[in-house]
Amino acid sequence: MTGFIALEMRRSLRDVRYLVIAVAMPIGLYLLFTGLFGAHGQRAQGLPQPVELMIAMIAYGAMWAVFSATGPRIAHERAIGWTRQLRVTPLGAASALSGKLLTALAAALPAMALVALTAVLSHHVHLSVAQWLAILSTMWAGVLPLALLGVAIGYLAADEIAFPLTMALYFALGALGGLWIPLSMMPLAMLQIGQALPSNSVAELGWRIAGGQASVLRAVLILTAWTLGSGLVALLAYRRRNTRSAH
Amino acid sequence: MASARTDPIPAAQPGTAWQADEGRLAVWTAGLAKSYGPTVALAGLDLHVAAGETVALLGPNGAGKTTTIGLLLGLLSPGHGHVQVFGRPPSQAVADGLVGAMLQDAGLMPGVRVGELLTMVRGLYPRPLPHDELAGIADLGPLLGRRADRLSGGQAQRVRFAVAIAGDPMLLVLDEPTAAMDVQARRNFWRQIHAFAGRGRTVLFSTHYLHEADDAADRVVVIAGGRKVADGPPAAIKANFGDQRVRFTLLQGSRAQLAALDGVRAVHQDTSRVTLHSSDPDATVSSLVRSDLRWSGLEVGGPDLETSFLRLLGEQS
Repeated sequence: MTGFIALEMRRSLRDVRYLVIAVAMPIGLYLLFTGLFGAHGQRAQGLPQPVELMIAMIAYGAMWAVFSATGPRIAHERAIGWTRQLRVTPLGAASALSGKLLTALAAALPAMALVALTAVLSHHVHLSVAQWLAILSTMWAGVLPLALLGVAIGYLAADEIAFPLTMALYFALGALGGLWIPLSMMPLAMLQIGQALPSNSVAELGWRIAGGQASVLRAVLILTAWTLGSGLVALLAYRRRNTRSAH
Repeated sequence: MASARTDPIPAAQPGTAWQADEGRLAVWTAGLAKSYGPTVALAGLDLHVAAGETVALLGPNGAGKTTTIGLLLGLLSPGHGHVQVFGRPPSQAVADGLVGAMLQDAGLMPGVRVGELLTMVRGLYPRPLPHDELAGIADLGPLLGRRADRLSGGQAQRVRFAVAIAGDPMLLVLDEPTAAMDVQARRNFWRQIHAFAGRGRTVLFSTHYLHEADDAADRVVVIAGGRKVADGPPAAIKANFGDQRVRFTLLQGSRAQLAALDGVRAVHQDTSRVTLHSSDPDATVSSLVRSDLRWSGLEVGGPDLETSFLRLLGEQS
């Protein structure tokens, strides 16, 4: 299992789609947005612009990291028969899936850390050690429902549509979840939709901790609900594909 | 070449007499049956493969070969009957690392090098083949540094074989392994299989080529229509199923004259085109030349398994 995860990890680090979209793009967008909106103004949450945007882009990069390591890959591996081959090794289907999930979560870490590093280097973002640890760890845990959503797509969608579908979902969750433009600048209906999305809740965790606000309860509840929901769909989809009577 | 595994396979759980006995068999099935909706894929198969044997599962397309293999590997669960691999349920045997398989529709992990892939797969088994030995048997040398998803068909086939044997499995299962290979690749492939089987391993492969079963197997199990129709050494199977086809257009002559030609076992006539099933095509052709029959467009072809299978099925039912 460790060898399998290590190889999956190495594969992610060579994957151009992961490197460009999950790592380079959030960094680029961070530099672009802080340049466009000015580095000194305040945005939503009462946070300084560079901090607010840093957290938005950490959520954005982490989201693609877990999506890219699950949805399109699982769909492709099902299509080419690698999933089937793994089923006849001692690893088995369930461990292969757990390994994929762990890899996806691990792939989020470099994407998150590099945005944070960029923020520190370019805009001298300063937070306490405890805040850094709390922000990164809670946001990291918060992408679990997104990874499960990716797994569900991987087992449900055909190879050809898994990538565009994941990509569309990623943009939609980013835009509607207030990662590009703060939700407070949107009409009320969109604000309400946005607040219910896991992408917004992941960022909300970071924003609240960075702003010194203790209450993250709502974000935690929303993410828990998404974890249960997407976890259930992922499990059903996985079982449908791995049932031993299916051909 | 020394075997990498010297310890014996753990014995099956002690239980009833037959269980203890089946523990010595690599594969044991009894009344194994599987249907997909109304379609019966396998209708009660009894299959025994002793440890160390190389057995061919021979049959036409749709005979139930792939279903049998799916059941042996725990990819499918039986509708009726029993299946054990080394005295345990197939999925357990797979989890214990006793089984390696080359499936028809299985691919390779994308985005990694062949060498990395094989190292990972070896790591999944308790006692894998040493890296150099694996590369030697599967003839991988120059492929190790290549990306597993950028190989030609033939190269991918070699790597898929390497993935199947990487764990030095006690039982190697191959589902129509040579279906996409040219003649040279086939020859190399069977040489590799022999090198692997020669280490005391059990090999079970499916094929629809009689000559392949004949060349490579110690024993041939013929299945058709989801049933076992013959089981024996290749020579015996060949005698039963190895009819050659002699075909020509009949210009003048009767069916009785055709049937009387030397070596002819069956006559098929489609308007004026005649197909003779012959156990000895040389004798059939020379008696044809000597006869009063008038004919044109003579062809002599290889064994016609489909017809032989159907004949045998007909005799049984």
